[in-house]
Amino acid sequence: MSPSKKDKMLYVGIDLGTSRSVVSASNGNRKWVESYVGWPKDFVAKKMLGKRVLFGSEAQEHRLALNLSRPLQNGVIKEGTERDDAAVHELIGHLIELAGVGPDDEVCVAVGVPAEALKVNKIAIRNAVSDHARKMMVVSEPFSVAYGLGTLDNAMIIDIGAGTVDFCIMHGTVPTEEDQRSLLMAGDYVDEQLLKLLTEKHPEADFSLNTVRKFKEKHGFVGEPKRRVKIEAPVDGKFTEFDITEEMRKACESPMPAIVETVIDLIASFDPEFQESVRNNIIVAGGGSQLSGLDSFLGEATKQFASCSFTCISDPLYAGADGALELATDMPEEFLEKL
Amino acid sequence: MSRHSDIKKAVLRGVYEDNAGIPRSVDRPGQPKFVAAAPGPAQRSGYRGRVLLVAMLAVVALIGVNFRLVTVDGSGPIAMQVVNRQPLQLPEAPLSALLNPEDDHVLESERPSRLEPPQVLKHAALMTSGDYVTMLTSLGMPMADLFDLKVQTIVIDPGHGGIDPGATGQQGLKEKDVTLDIARRLRDKLAASGDYRVLLTREQDRKVFLKERVAFAKKNRADLFISIHINSLPPGSESVNYVETYYFGPHTDQRSLDLAEKENHDSDYVMGDFREVIARIGDTLKTEESKELASSIHTNLFNDLKRRNRDLIDAGSKTGPFMVLLGVEVPSVLVEVSCISNKAEEARLGRPEYRDSVADFLEAGIVEYLQRRAYPETIEGGKTQNVAQQER
Repeated sequence: MSPSKKDKMLYVGIDLGTSRSVVSASNGNRKWVESYVGWPKDFVAKKMLGKRVLFGSEAQEHRLALNLSRPLQNGVIKEGTERDDAAVHELIGHLIELAGVGPDDEVCVAVGVPAEALKVNKIAIRNAVSDHARKMMVVSEPFSVAYGLGTLDNAMIIDIGAGTVDFCIMHGTVPTEEDQRSLLMAGDYVDEQLLKLLTEKHPEADFSLNTVRKFKEKHGFVGEPKRRVKIEAPVDGKFTEFDITEEMRKACESPMPAIVETVIDLIASFDPEFQESVRNNIIVAGGGSQLSGLDSFLGEATKQFASCSFTCISDPLYAGADGALELATDMPEEFLEKL
Repeated sequence: MSRHSDIKKAVLRGVYEDNAGIPRSVDRPGQPKFVAAAPGPAQRSGYRGRVLLVAMLAVVALIGVNFRLVTVDGSGPIAMQVVNRQPLQLPEAPLSALLNPEDDHVLESERPSRLEPPQVLKHAALMTSGDYVTMLTSLGMPMADLFDLKVQTIVIDPGHGGIDPGATGQQGLKEKDVTLDIARRLRDKLAASGDYRVLLTREQDRKVFLKERVAFAKKNRADLFISIHINSLPPGSESVNYVETYYFGPHTDQRSLDLAEKENHDSDYVMGDFREVIARIGDTLKTEESKELASSIHTNLFNDLKRRNRDLIDAGSKTGPFMVLLGVEVPSVLVEVSCISNKAEEARLGRPEYRDSVADFLEAGIVEYLQRRAYPETIEGGKTQNVAQQER
């Protein structure tokens, strides 16, 4: 490939997530969309909506008229589910479109996916991308975050997503299966716990998964609350204020024992000589890293086993896509040519 | 700086090698892993044909007609003749009247000089239902196969749910979450073949009474019922981890009785159901098939899990008085996958890849059972040939 050809290449980094999917391109475009894909149920719906397929919040808004898919539920594309395969295909196409690809641009895409999806759905994802870009690579989400941050050696990345919490130890190479773990107790699990706790305590109020997810994203915390969490929810159609501080804390802390256990387990499996370096370099990414007080809570919780230092990244929404973009851009020409 | 650059190069090469190895166009994921696994439509039609042939031959045998092949000049097999080797043994009038000696298909026939009822029909009026079972089983094939009873609907029952968490591990992992996740994975794997309708008794984390689970299986005309549970042992036994699989029957030891009592808790059955419960205990066909299914699932699950955990104990495939198994009228088993009370096992159960493997092993057991029913001769030593693995 000539240098001029590489100059004309548009590099695109994609973070294909359970809850949100994000794109970051070398032309400076950075966009995100909720990972919902919907097709009009019938001719009437198609005519009313005026689109073949809808994405993100627009799809959610018109969900009653759509066959709706959240393709990476639980962090993987359900095997053999044609609709979810098609949804991934559409979603990737939409994200590349959002990147602002010109008609003459040659596109090189790096896609970061939940670790479990990389293992189970690698081929399906590759096939989904191949219709939109000739040059592509698929990597695990925590790895793309690590690459973007430059933490390639003696570090651990914890990516707390909606479907899974992915753990990955970096030791100067591409992480293998032994370097990675996944837990299903992630953001969606916290939402379910919160909904359950609130419904049990306030059966008269009208809560839904969507509303509690919004409460969590706005007020989620672990450890000691900085302020009381007060929200409004309808009771017989009338909005009423509730103090949900305790329920919020319980729900947000519900996956923490499993997270702590997995951190300790992974560190213990690492070369003892480098364990201290890893313990002092644990990066927390993903939407879940925005829970208030998370880094100090995890530091405190792991203290009984070994002193660990956790850092929550500053831009969790774009970190994965930015890392994937950097990976695509850095990929040597001779490798790119063959991909 | 230079070291960082070297690491980066190595990482980029690793990413390239990882991705260069992914095939660009292959079979979609989710296709059946066992090439000769569940009988597909073509296989089934062959199977049906075989059963039809057996039935036809049986009818022909009953009316005492035998085929033999002769040439026109009698030297080799060119044309087919229907001849009577021995006096036709038919019931007197009605059935013999159906035979038309002028039939065009009959090249040569000899009408019997005297009709005598065959032995089996002569005594038909005196046969009891037990005699019929003996007669049918003496044919050397399972009754379900003889009648070509196909499996179309498989109901998977994730144990516990909602306010009933089942067993809870030391780290807080709940049985209800693990069973639901494994059941979902198993459902997706079995449904991927397109040969079966696979349903779950609960799709979400909600309480479902045992009676509702049974009613669900009946309403949806289940052909197989698989209940998934995770075991838990009392304090002091945390180091123990075992697999066991049950089908309905009397308890074999105190532990299986205790376990059945625990799993039957909150069953929502009432004493009024007792008569029906007792009446069903003698359901031999169901027991025979349940035993086969339990054995197949257990063997696959234990052998495969044992490779990952050398300390795993084989507690066997056995009978136990579980209400959920009794209520369902089709082959049904209850699998206690492993012990959540064992800390290391709890950690493993918390990992999606491990739960996916458990679902794989359960699938292999079910598929092997189905395959054994369809092609008894293809299973050697009770183990399905994983052709895909062999090819690799």
